[in-house]
Amino acid sequence: MSWKIKSLTKSPWVFHVNTGACNNCDIEIVNCLTPKFDVERFGIKLVGSPRHADALLVTGVVTAQAAPRLREVYRQTAKPCVVFAIGACACDTGIFKDGYHVVGPVDKIIREVDPNAIIAYVPGCPPKPEAMISGVVKALAAL
Amino acid sequence: MAEGLQSIFWVAVFPGFVFTAIVGLLATWVVRKVSALVQWRVGPPITQPFWDVAKLLGKEVLIPQDAQRTVFIAAPLVGLAGVLLLSTMLWRIAIAPSEAFIGDIIVAIYLMVLPSLALILGSSASASPHAAVGTAREMKMVMGYELPLVLAFVVVIIKSGGQLSLAAIATNAPALSISGMLAFLASILCMQAKLGFVPFDIAEAETELGSGVLMEYSGALLAVWKLTQAMMLVALPMFLVTIFMGGFDTNAAGPLALSIGKFVLVLVLLILIKNTNPRVRIDQAMKFFWVYCGIALAVAVVLAIIGNAYGLTWL
Amino acid sequence: MNQQELNNKLQEIKDKLIAVEQKADNRVELVCEAENSVAVNRFLLADVGARFVIATGIDAEDCFEVIYHYSYDGTGCVINIKALIRDRQNPSIESITPLVTAAEWIEREIHDILGIDFANHPNLKRLILNDDWPEGVYPLRKDVSAADAKEAQK
Repeated sequence: MSWKIKSLTKSPWVFHVNTGACNNCDIEIVNCLTPKFDVERFGIKLVGSPRHADALLVTGVVTAQAAPRLREVYRQTAKPCVVFAIGACACDTGIFKDGYHVVGPVDKIIREVDPNAIIAYVPGCPPKPEAMISGVVKALAAL
Repeated sequence: MAEGLQSIFWVAVFPGFVFTAIVGLLATWVVRKVSALVQWRVGPPITQPFWDVAKLLGKEVLIPQDAQRTVFIAAPLVGLAGVLLLSTMLWRIAIAPSEAFIGDIIVAIYLMVLPSLALILGSSASASPHAAVGTAREMKMVMGYELPLVLAFVVVIIKSGGQLSLAAIATNAPALSISGMLAFLASILCMQAKLGFVPFDIAEAETELGSGVLMEYSGALLAVWKLTQAMMLVALPMFLVTIFMGGFDTNAAGPLALSIGKFVLVLVLLILIKNTNPRVRIDQAMKFFWVYCGIALAVAVVLAIIGNAYGLTWL
Repeated sequence: MNQQELNNKLQEIKDKLIAVEQKADNRVELVCEAENSVAVNRFLLADVGARFVIATGIDAEDCFEVIYHYSYDGTGCVINIKALIRDRQNPSIESITPLVTAAEWIEREIHDILGIDFANHPNLKRLILNDDWPEGVYPLRKDVSAADAKEAQK
C-alpha cells in the first residue's frame, strides 16, 4: 500500500454534504461524531471545508437543485478521496424513486464527474452510528 | 565556514525545525489527549499528529482560480519561518545563555506577530467570502490582544530593572509578585488568542460553522499551516516560561526536569482553559482585551514601577 | 382573553366568512372566499392579536385552498383561515406579505409548487425548484402525474 493511501486510512478527515435529505441521516452522522462513539480514536475529524477532507459523507437523494453543487464539492475535494453514500436515499434513492425532483442516487452524479471514484455504501434509514463506523472501517481496510 | 554550518544545524535540526516540529506535534497530541480525557473518552493515539501531516503531504494542492497565487503560496512559508526562528532563538538562549543579545526580547515580540500576519495575508489572498470574513475577524483579534501582550512584557522589563536581554530577564521569576502575576494571567489569555484556542478561536475554528481563514488551503500548504500551529505550541509557552517563570535551566538533570515541568504546567493551563469555556463573539473578545486586560495591566505597570523604585520585589 | 371570549370575538368577522367550524377544543377553522382572505387575516393580526405560524396550499379537486395557520398564545388555540380559490384555470389570491413579512417565503413555495399567483407579492421568484425547471409545470397539482413532471423536467 503506498504511503499516501496508508496515511489516508490512518487519518481520514470527513466533510458532510446534505443533498436533499430529510435530516435523519444527518442527525445520526452528527451523533456518530459525539464523544460517546469517540471516532477521534481512528483519527476521524469533522472539517468545515471540502478542500481539507478525505471522505465525503453524502446523505440524501440528490435533488435537481443539489446535483450541480454536489459535483462542485466533489471536484473541490483534494484527491485521493472516498465518497460514502449514507442512508437508503443516498445508496439508491430509497422511497423517493421516480420523484419529480430526483435526478438519481449519489453514485450516478459522482460518476459523471469522475468515473473512477471510490464510493462506499452504508444503507439504513437511518443507519445507526455503529453501522456507519463499521462501514468506514471496512472501506478503509479495502483501500 | 564551520560557524555557518553550525548555524544551519541549529536552525534545521536542533533546536530548529526537526526538534521543534517533533515536540510541537507531540504537544498537539497532548492537547487532544487531555481534551479527550476531560470529555471521558479515549482520544487519538500518540502517532496521530504525525499521520495527519503525512496524509496532508500526500494530497493534491488546489489553488482557487481567482486567488493571488504568489501570496497564497508564500504566506504559510512566511508563518513557518517566523515561528521557526523564534523557537530556535528561545531554545538556543535557554541552552547557552551567553548567546543572548540586548534587545532580543524585541526581536521575539516581532517574530511572534509573523504567524498571525501570515494567516491574515494568506486568507485574504484566497478569494473566498468565507475566508474574507475570517480575515476581518483575525485582524480585529490581533488588534485586540497585541497591546495587552506588549504591556505584559513591559511589566516584566520594568521588574527586571530595565534589562532588554532574555538571559538577564530569565534569572528572576516575576510571576511570584502581584504585578507579575497579573501580567502572567493576562498574557496566558493573550497566548490563548494567538494560538487560536477557545475561547478566542473566532477566526479559524469557525470552520465548525462552515467558514474560516484556512478554507481554501489543501495538501502540502495546509500541512505547513498545521506544522506552524504545532510549532507555536512549543515556542509560545517557552517564551512565557523564559520571561515569567525563571527561565529554562538545562545545566543539570534536576533543574531540567523542573523546567520541563514549568513548560508542561503552562501547556496544561492553556488546555484546561480551552476545554472549559465556550467561544466568545469578536466584540466580546475586543472588549475583554482592551477594557479588562488593559485596566488590569495598567494597574500592574504602576505597581511594577512603584515596586522597582522602592525595591519591593513582591509588588 | 380566555377561550370563550376568543370564540365570541371571532364571531365579529362573521359577515366575511362562509363558515366557522370548531374542529376541536383548541382549534377553530374560519372558511372564507379568496377575496375576503386579507380582511380576515388583518382582523386576526390586529384585533385578536394572534401570531402567524405558516401557510399551506392544497389542490382540492374542485378548487384550490390556501390555509393560513395562526396561534393565539394566550390560550394555546390554533386558528386556521381556509381561503377557497374557485378559479382553477388562473388561481389567484392576494398576498398577505405586506401585513406580515414572514409569509414571503411560504407564498413563494406555494406559487412554485402549485402555481397559485399571489397578487402584490414583493418577490415572487422560484424558491425550491431548480432554476432550469420549465415554466408552467406545477408538480403537486393533482392533474400532473409524477411521470409527466419528470418528463417535463428533461
